[in-house]
Amino acid sequence: MIRQEAPGPTAPGSCRWLLAAALLLVGAQPAASGTTQAAPGAVPGVQPEPAAAAAPPESAAAPAAQPEPGVSTQQSADGADEPPSTDGWNFEEEDDGWDFEDDEEGDDGWGFEDDEGGDAWSFGDEEEDAETWGALLRDQAADLVFFTGFAALVMVGFFRKSVWMKYATLAAAVAYLGFTKSQLISVVNVYGLMTGNMPVFRYNLAWYLFAGFTVVTTVLWGRLYCGRVCAFGALTQLMDRVVPAKLRVEVPAWLEPRAAWIKYGLLAATLAYFLATADIPAFRFVEPFWMFTLRGTTAMWIGLAVLLAATVFVRNLYCRFLCPVGAFLGILSKATVFRIKRWKECDTCKICEKACEWGAIQGPRIVMTECVRCDDCERLYADVKKCPHWLLLLRAKRRQRQAAPSVIPVRPVAST
Amino acid sequence: MRIPILALLLAGVVVMEGQSPFDPLLREQLGKLFPDAASFSPKEGSPPHFKAFAGNGDIVGFAFWTTELEPLERGYDGPIQVLVGVDLDAELTGIIVARHHEPYGYFSIDTPEYGAQFVRKSVRDRFRVGADIDSVATATITVRSATRAVRNGARRIARQFLSPDGGLR
Repeated sequence: MIRQEAPGPTAPGSCRWLLAAALLLVGAQPAASGTTQAAPGAVPGVQPEPAAAAAPPESAAAPAAQPEPGVSTQQSADGADEPPSTDGWNFEEEDDGWDFEDDEEGDDGWGFEDDEGGDAWSFGDEEEDAETWGALLRDQAADLVFFTGFAALVMVGFFRKSVWMKYATLAAAVAYLGFTKSQLISVVNVYGLMTGNMPVFRYNLAWYLFAGFTVVTTVLWGRLYCGRVCAFGALTQLMDRVVPAKLRVEVPAWLEPRAAWIKYGLLAATLAYFLATADIPAFRFVEPFWMFTLRGTTAMWIGLAVLLAATVFVRNLYCRFLCPVGAFLGILSKATVFRIKRWKECDTCKICEKACEWGAIQGPRIVMTECVRCDDCERLYADVKKCPHWLLLLRAKRRQRQAAPSVIPVRPVAST
Repeated sequence: MRIPILALLLAGVVVMEGQSPFDPLLREQLGKLFPDAASFSPKEGSPPHFKAFAGNGDIVGFAFWTTELEPLERGYDGPIQVLVGVDLDAELTGIIVARHHEPYGYFSIDTPEYGAQFVRKSVRDRFRVGADIDSVATATITVRSATRAVRNGARRIARQFLSPDGGLR
């Protein structure tokens, strides 16, 4: 029997007007005004000033600003490596003499006419395209392979409910996603999502794989990302294994669900602040993920030290109560497809609730927005010696056997 | 809520009009790229660019905003606005990273070391991050995006205005 989870915290979805305001402002932004201060909503859409398209006004000293369209076949002195254009491929734009060495990588077809065939070696579109994507993939192959391997570890550990694989995943998350790549899902990605400023797809395939993995697993199973992928969460979970248990303070049950709301407040506040000021670097005071870059101000390091010190006493303090990304994924995980199974015995049994390190089990229900799929409770469900569901089944069978031993010969249940 | 937005919009337009060609900050930035130039044109032409003039009125170079020449280029969070100077030998005179929203920009593209790598770099050179331009391990997306924008923008200016043999075309 699968129970629906109870109404958890709701999305701070009412900042739509703020978004609209930001979009309005974006249109009015003097994109190339050269100011360094961040103006509100100064994000995307750079419009070349229309007036600038007119003829050059007072610059009389600009003799040959316009290229002569028909001129071609002039051989550049420095372009010794440029094959002579005797092969019949007389592309107009190819003969501008500019012969960039690495254009076969850089020539990415972003639609600038003059960029298209600027390199003299491109003889066919298909060949060029294949080469371009090949080069792109070759550049990013290492990242793609490493992340795919990591994702495989995450999923295999998750499906096998394996404890050691989970800790291997956490260690890999800290080492690879943390200190090596330092690319965790950040509230900055939520900013980017809101303002349509995502990294260029073809250059950041591994990042898109990472972000896609995060969203898909969250919708399918819940906050798997928080439980296994996020390097900071992994760090605090590993810390929790080292810290002596007697130091730990359990958050009282009445406080737990209330404190979990703080992160939604923080998410809303951070987004509102961003939409109002377009100030990104402030995110570092909300998220500790910068720590993996090892670059922070003294104030930030002190804040981090305080946070980690507090995490010694309250396990996964940041993830449970403060993380805006966790809040965002929590909202997504309201839609979780494959939920954790609950027995009817769960109505009264408290074993899992006590075991849950994330405060995600409240009475008979699992709060999906808080659950990070750590598998602790699922391992308990599967344990025939601990879960009352199996114990009751076993007792029922025994009783049945005692009541009518001669009628139904039951093989003794494997009793270990 | 609508009135403050409109007021802000209006203020934005006024500010934009006011600072368009001869904004002192812009003038200062152009001066950094072309210390010997006597004057600069306002932004003009297609692709949009500034011209730097010597005292006698000769053109000594071009400057452009990467966001205008490579408007589709994105970093981790949005375009990275860089002012780039190109002289008549098709060498970069320098770059000024003016505005961006990169979370890890403060230790990658905002550093003087990043900009210094582009000074006197020819547009013919390769701009591979990791080989020709220093990579910053944890800010790859940012550094690569900024570098691509500078390279592609400068090459576009070169194709448009400069002769491969040197000088204007």
